Formats: sequence, C-alpha cells, structure tokens
Amino acid sequence: MAAIRFEKAQHWYPNAPSAAVAGMDLDIADGEFMVLVGPSGCGKSTTLRMLAGLEELTAGSIYLGDRDISTTAPKDRDIAMVFQNYALYPHMTVGGNMEFCLKNAGMSRDERKRRVAAAAETLGLTEYLDRKPKALSGGQRQRVAMGRAIVRNPQVFCMDEPLSNLDAKMRVQTRTDVAKLQRDLGVTTVYVTHDQTEAMTMGDRVGVMKDGVLQQVGAPMELYDRPANVFVAGFIGSPAMKFFDADVHDGSVTVGGHSMALAPFGGHDGPVVVGLRPEGWRLTAPGDGIAVTVGVVETLGADAYLYGTARVDGGDADVIARIGNRERVGTGDTVHVTADGPAIHLFDRATGERLS
Amino acid sequence: MNVSRTERIVNQLILVVFALFAVVPLLGVLLSSVTPASQNSGGFAIPDAVDFGNYGAAWSRGNFSSYLLSSVLVTAAVVILSVVLATFAGFAFARFDFRGSSVLFYLLLIGLTLPTEAFIIPLYFNLRTIGLTDTYWALILPQTAQSLAFAVFWMRNQFRGFPGEIIEAARLDGCSDLRLLWRVVVPPSLAPMMTMAVVITMWTWNEFLLPLVMVVSDSRRTAPLGLALFQGQHLTDYSLLAAAGVMVALPIAVLFFALQKRFINGMVGGISSR
Repeated sequence: MAAIRFEKAQHWYPNAPSAAVAGMDLDIADGEFMVLVGPSGCGKSTTLRMLAGLEELTAGSIYLGDRDISTTAPKDRDIAMVFQNYALYPHMTVGGNMEFCLKNAGMSRDERKRRVAAAAETLGLTEYLDRKPKALSGGQRQRVAMGRAIVRNPQVFCMDEPLSNLDAKMRVQTRTDVAKLQRDLGVTTVYVTHDQTEAMTMGDRVGVMKDGVLQQVGAPMELYDRPANVFVAGFIGSPAMKFFDADVHDGSVTVGGHSMALAPFGGHDGPVVVGLRPEGWRLTAPGDGIAVTVGVVETLGADAYLYGTARVDGGDADVIARIGNRERVGTGDTVHVTADGPAIHLFDRATGERLS
Repeated sequence: MNVSRTERIVNQLILVVFALFAVVPLLGVLLSSVTPASQNSGGFAIPDAVDFGNYGAAWSRGNFSSYLLSSVLVTAAVVILSVVLATFAGFAFARFDFRGSSVLFYLLLIGLTLPTEAFIIPLYFNLRTIGLTDTYWALILPQTAQSLAFAVFWMRNQFRGFPGEIIEAARLDGCSDLRLLWRVVVPPSLAPMMTMAVVITMWTWNEFLLPLVMVVSDSRRTAPLGLALFQGQHLTDYSLLAAAGVMVALPIAVLFFALQKRFINGMVGGISSR
C-alpha cells in the first residue's frame, strides 16, 4: 500500500482545444478513499486513467510512495482497476477472470486457488466460480470485477464509475459494500463518479473537478459546509443549492427586497451572489421574508421540499426550501421564507469564489 | 411493421422464383450424375433408373483421389497461414500506433483489387527463378498473399470493434502483448475468424488459374484443374462429368452447411462482448 501524489499532472488529448486534465496537484494518503467527482468531461476519468497508466502524461508526474510512476507500464504499477462496464473476459469463468492476473504473474496453482477462493468468499461469489459472466446479473458481474481487483492485493484500487450500470436499489447496497470492503482491506483507493451522493457517502475525502481543474478537495461535510466556489456549492448537495444576485450592506444582505443579517460577517460590501441550501430556508410570517410562489411540493416522508419561484431583481429566481412534512402548502400558494446568518453562503459575483 | 397479405405473397413469390433460378441447374447436375450414361442427353431430365456407378467410374478414371488430396493440402495450408498471419497483422493495425501503419494498410488493400490475371505471368517467372514452380509452394504462397488482403482487412475491423476496456483490463492484469492477443482477444473473436476461414477456404478450393499455370505434374493438380482436364477427355459423357463436378464441389458445400450458423453469426454478430 502506498500514498499517491500528483504533481502538475497534465493530459492533453491530441487536437483537443484545451487540456483534459490541467496541471493537477493532489496528495492521497496511504489507505485513503479518495473520490473524484464532477460532470461528464471534467477530466476525472482521465485523471484515473493517468494513474493506472492507460493515458500518458503530457506534463508533470505521478508518484506512488516514493516511486515516480509517470512512465511506468500499466502492468508494472501494481494498480488494479474496476471498469464501468466491468470489462470481464467473456470466454473465461468467474474463477478464470479472477485468476488471470495471478497466472500472468506466474503464481503457483495452489496459491492461485487459495486467493481466488478467499476473494470469492469475501464477495459471496463462491457458488458462481464456474459460471461465465454472461450468466450473471449486473450486481454479480460488478462483484467479479471487484474480485479481480482484490485477488491481486495491489497497492492501489482505481474505480471508474463502478456502480453506474446497476439499478438504483442495487447501487445503494453496493455503495456500502464497496466502502466497507475498502476499509477492511485498507488499500488506497481512487474512485471516480459523477454522482455526488456516492461521493458524499463513500469518500474519506472528495475532490470536485470541472473543465480539467480540481476545484476543491476536502472531507464531504467540509465541501458541503464551506464550498470554495459557486460550482462546488451547486454540485454538492441534493436538492441543489440555489443562487441569487444580492447586495451586501452594513452586515446584512438584501435578496429580492428582503434583508437578512449576516453572521458571521466577513466585512464585504456591494454586489454578491448568495447561495442557500434547501434546509437554510425557514417559513416565516408574511411581510417578514421573500414571497415565493409555490410550484410543487415533494413530500418525502420525514421532510418535504418546496419548489417555487421568487421575484429577485425583476426576474424569476428558483427557490428550493425544505419544509416540515405537516405544512399545509399547495401549488399556487404564496409563502414567505427567510434564512439565518450561518446558512447564507456568499460568493464573488465576478469570479464565483467564496467570500465569507 | 405490418406487412399486408398481398405484399407477403408477392415477396414469397419473388423469393421462390430466385430460389428456382439457383436450385434448378444444381438439381439438374445432381440428377444427371445419377442417370445411366446411355440415357443421358445432357438436358434436364428425370432418369428412369438411378446409377451411382457414375461416381465410382469418374473417381477412378479421373484420378480424383490425387486431385482432391492436393486440394485439401493446399487449402489447409493457405487457410492456416492466412488466419495466423492476419490475426497478428489485424491486431497490430487495429490496436497499435506505429509509423506508417495507415500507408501499409492501404497498400495491403490494393491487393483486394488486383485480379490474378494481372500478375500471374511475372509471378510465374519469379517463382521459376527460385525453383518453386511445379511445387505446392507455388500454389500456397501466392494464394496466402492474395487471401491476406481480405483477411487482414477483416481481422482489423473485428479487432477495432473489440471492447477497449477488456484490453485495458488485461494490460493492467499484467498481460504481455502476445498473451493478450491469444488468450484475451482471440477466444471471443472465434466466430468472425471462422467466417473468414470459410471464405478463404472457398476461394482457395475453387482457384483455377494459378494451379493451371504453376503446376505441371499430374500429382500436384488440384480438383478444379483435374475437373477441367477430365471434361476435355469426356466431352460427351454427361453422367461422368456431372458426377465429377459434384465430387469437386461437395467438400465446400458440406463445409458451408456444417458451419452455416457460425458463418452467419460471424458475418452479422461480430465479437460477442460479454
């Protein structure tokens, strides 16, 4: 096992107008579960493929422990990968799939059998060892792909959206299984996903990427509580944070004619972008908040989310607010909402960077 | 899509007519081959008696055991050589980035457009210079080269369609290039490879011009060549001619029918990915 360090790692696809990954600096600790998350085309998969050796670096370097692996062949990196489509060998049995890398390494037959049996036991695949991948369900194939990675006992696991081909229920189940397995094995893991829920629930730390640039790295709640910019704020959290143009003056911020006190107050003055998560809003009396026309109310059981629009600066702005599940609010009603200081996120209107 | 009853009947009729075009002459030859020689006038006729003796007579008088053996030898060698070489070359063209790969590939494609007549005379002199005329090599080597144009093209396309993730997974699993090809890529590609082998078998088996020019010894003549000579000697013995024709065509027909399902799978299905 080993720590990973990206130093100004860059990949530029031939004839592309900009770099897929632009000068990434990232330290991943030994045994850490690092999730890279971002929209499609943000460079997260390319980052992972550079680590695995499937894409060359056009600049910079990657270290595994103290070893510079920037130009090492994939097979000599001691990194195992789980692919989105599992990439199982279709003509080999489950056992054969898991055993293949050990055969390539010239391991003795007894040792191979022992390792495959142990991995199959861990993943609940023992009874399927003689089946072909074709005869397995999506979830089972996913586990075979995991098994193929763990029998090798590698220094690093790379996982490229390994859950995205599973149905919703299976995905939630497998999410916890994978996270637990990683903690049990203690192998440094880099996990790529576009799903912020996976990122939040699985990672020790999460790196948010956009346009080939790492926007912010931190523990899940750190990203949630103190997003570094508008992009991270909008990407992390579900339902998403909503943004409003507003003005800060004398320690309070005015959104749609309604003024809310900032606490703590960072000392800014002038135009800003205000971000508010659904749970940041609370219902209040008419005249004491922003008027919101209710579009739809989604009741989830414990909570309900109100989706509506407010008049801000002469235009309509979307508002999502979490309300109690017993509130009697329906489509077309007008409600009034306000927020308290700690729930209000302020961003620079020009750069989108966090202010407070 | 809904097809009306009339349309379906018209479709069936057209198909039946075309099927008759294909089947009637074949049936004619088959009937002719079992018609007693004395009754045979060469036209399409249902015989009064069935005489399988024509086959025996044609076999012994035409020396077909020797011709068929030559054909089998040459065809097997050409098919094996072509499949092995095309697998290597197709994989390299499909999956490796090397200098001049596209130039080389298009050069190979030109081979698809060259008729044998265009190069057979210079080829004859070349082979004579190195002393290969009137040997099996004079049949095997040029036909392998000819088949390779198609075979490399075919294998390259198959391997291009092979799921890239599986190849990457194998590389991460510590596979060498050679092992990757034969243990990971080839086994799921057997259906299209089989199709290719059948096509090359048919071409090689039916090749006429090359054996006609390159071999002189009777013992190295292939079946189609033997058939032509046999025709020259028995111009009016239609029963014998038909029996000989059936014997020469039969191995390919049997092969095709035996592999028909795989052949069609390989044509339409390509590589089974999981």
